[in-house]
Amino acid sequence: MYRSLAVLLSGLMLVAAPVWAGAPPWERVEAVQNVLDGETPVRGAIHLDLPLVSRDGSAVPLTVEVDSPMSEDDYVASIHLFAVSNPYPEIATIHLTPRMGQAKVATRVRLNESQRVVAVARTNTGRVYADAREVRVTVAGCLARDATYDSDTLMLARVRAPERFSAGEPGEVTTLINHPMETGLRKNGDGNLIPRRIVHRVAASVGAETVMEAELHRSVSADPYLRFFVAPVEDGTLTVRWDEEGGESAVREESLRLR
Amino acid sequence: MTRGRINRRQALKLMGAMGAGPFLAAGGRIPPAAAGGPAGRVVVVGGGFGGATVAKYIKRFDPAVEVTLVEPSRRHFTCPFSNLYLGGLYQFDALGHGYEELVSRYGVQVVHSMADDVDADGRTVRLAGGETLSWDRLVLSPGIDIRWGELEGYTRAAAEKAPHAWQAGPQTHLLKKQLEAMEDGGTFILVAPDNPFRCPPGPYERVAMVANYLKSHKPKSKILLLDAKDNFSKQGLFLDGWRKNYGDMIEWVGRSQDGEVVRVDADRLEVETEFGTTHKASVLNVVPPQRAGFIARRAGVTDASGWAPVEPRTFASPRVEGVYVIGDATEAAPMPKSGFCANAQGKVTAAAIVADLAGVDGPDPSWANTCYSTVAPGYGISVAGVYGIREGHIEEISGGVSPADADAAFRRREAEYAVAWYRAITQDTWGTA
Repeated sequence: MYRSLAVLLSGLMLVAAPVWAGAPPWERVEAVQNVLDGETPVRGAIHLDLPLVSRDGSAVPLTVEVDSPMSEDDYVASIHLFAVSNPYPEIATIHLTPRMGQAKVATRVRLNESQRVVAVARTNTGRVYADAREVRVTVAGCLARDATYDSDTLMLARVRAPERFSAGEPGEVTTLINHPMETGLRKNGDGNLIPRRIVHRVAASVGAETVMEAELHRSVSADPYLRFFVAPVEDGTLTVRWDEEGGESAVREESLRLR
Repeated sequence: MTRGRINRRQALKLMGAMGAGPFLAAGGRIPPAAAGGPAGRVVVVGGGFGGATVAKYIKRFDPAVEVTLVEPSRRHFTCPFSNLYLGGLYQFDALGHGYEELVSRYGVQVVHSMADDVDADGRTVRLAGGETLSWDRLVLSPGIDIRWGELEGYTRAAAEKAPHAWQAGPQTHLLKKQLEAMEDGGTFILVAPDNPFRCPPGPYERVAMVANYLKSHKPKSKILLLDAKDNFSKQGLFLDGWRKNYGDMIEWVGRSQDGEVVRVDADRLEVETEFGTTHKASVLNVVPPQRAGFIARRAGVTDASGWAPVEPRTFASPRVEGVYVIGDATEAAPMPKSGFCANAQGKVTAAAIVADLAGVDGPDPSWANTCYSTVAPGYGISVAGVYGIREGHIEEISGGVSPADADAAFRRREAEYAVAWYRAITQDTWGTA
């Protein structure tokens, strides 16, 4: 009787909490554990998308989406991305707000070798979601791009938003800044380390209100690329700002117009 | 008797010990298993580099196996060297290869029809005319299909105005005619796709060959290559070769410089990039996103990527039993989607099928690839790779590209090797060089 109850309970738990079959795929990844902070994430509401096979590990497209109403009461507060077999697994942490209207972001990441990529999301109410994808990489991310980065366009930033929005409806914004994202781990032709130089923060705001803020790490590809949503309720200006770690900044403004 | 006959078991053992390549070079054949019925029935769909090669080599390994090749065309026109036709360095007719040798010398049955459907349970292929072919093993080598509409505005109708010319034939002629009609001082735009796609160095050789034509006929013209990538095959060699041969005629714009095209307007010959720049062309050549050919998708061997995953040792489909997939339709990275790879895969898969039908283990595979690109008359570059299996995956065992600092004589020799390579591989595949 007790045994059958135990079996029944364990069966119920499997249904109620969609836990990972076996150990979670990031069990020994410290960077992920730090973000989870002892909590057990659930699958299902978060969807991580990367190609199964990449022929260029220097820029692998990544999209992550969380099912969320993105309302003031219930929204995704942060998304954390990891490449678990890179020398430094952190890719980026994205802080989201209800002003995005849709919890979906896309970027391009460096993958040093075939590995697992993990996304963790936290809602404002404390729910934690996670998803993981295996990517086979046939040309390593660290090999591409030679030491001579085209400095003519360094810190040149681009933003594109839809020409017209419907009030309160999310529209996708595409951003890119020309930057080498030097990891500080590469050597030049003389065998000396190329100094670390990264854009570590991208922030988007409308007026005084933050829409989205992203902390970028070394596993983001050169020429950091970020797509995200904004749902304006009135005509305004989207300001996107990129900050280099201890260095320069770039700012671009884009009009947001309602239909 | 000048050549010792080997028996079937010895031949298979030799294939296993040496890999298929050396065995083939020795000209060995496996005698029929027994008098009477065939040692197995193999249907091959697609008569390009992969399909023609696998059909021929199955018969070479074991003439007792019945092989039927299904291919709608009487002659296959190759994508390799079609850029040289556009550049004025090669005759179009020389790109066409027929199936006479497969039939008369190797005993392959060639059916000029289109495969419409595959019944994996019943082990049949249905042809466009309604008849069915039965098989014990099926090889699909259908090449690529265009993903129409994946790039906004790029439809079948658009391709009649802005050709892709990524399957040699009428599209190649159309692009050539457009180039010939183009005014001096016009702009040729080539739109290059993201990975993976057929012939990774192809777009970069193509602009070089177009430049070769324009340089002598329309020297005031410009070439703009808008790319959805920041890294491409033989990049340093191409950039250097373009500059040396054509000065600043060719401008390449990578993705991080807003090179990715997101919309095509074929009527206006305009393209729009990711960040909203519009470029107007005199001649617009769009190399669009691609996927495995129709019959591979129909047979269920493709996955969400649109390409067919394969078992590395044999190129058997892990999704449909008894079916093998070779050539551009496969996801066989790091092997590129090239004619040379399709040919190499055809040989390895032929050996695997013959071994499988005989109930023995196939050889340990090894594949080679060389992609020559002709930058200008007497100026060639190449990338070569040797592939094997490591930890269950296909890996590049060794490889490399032409030296960056090679002299003119070296580049000239590589241009000659390119022609020799084309003659050799078409001879090997169809018996016609």
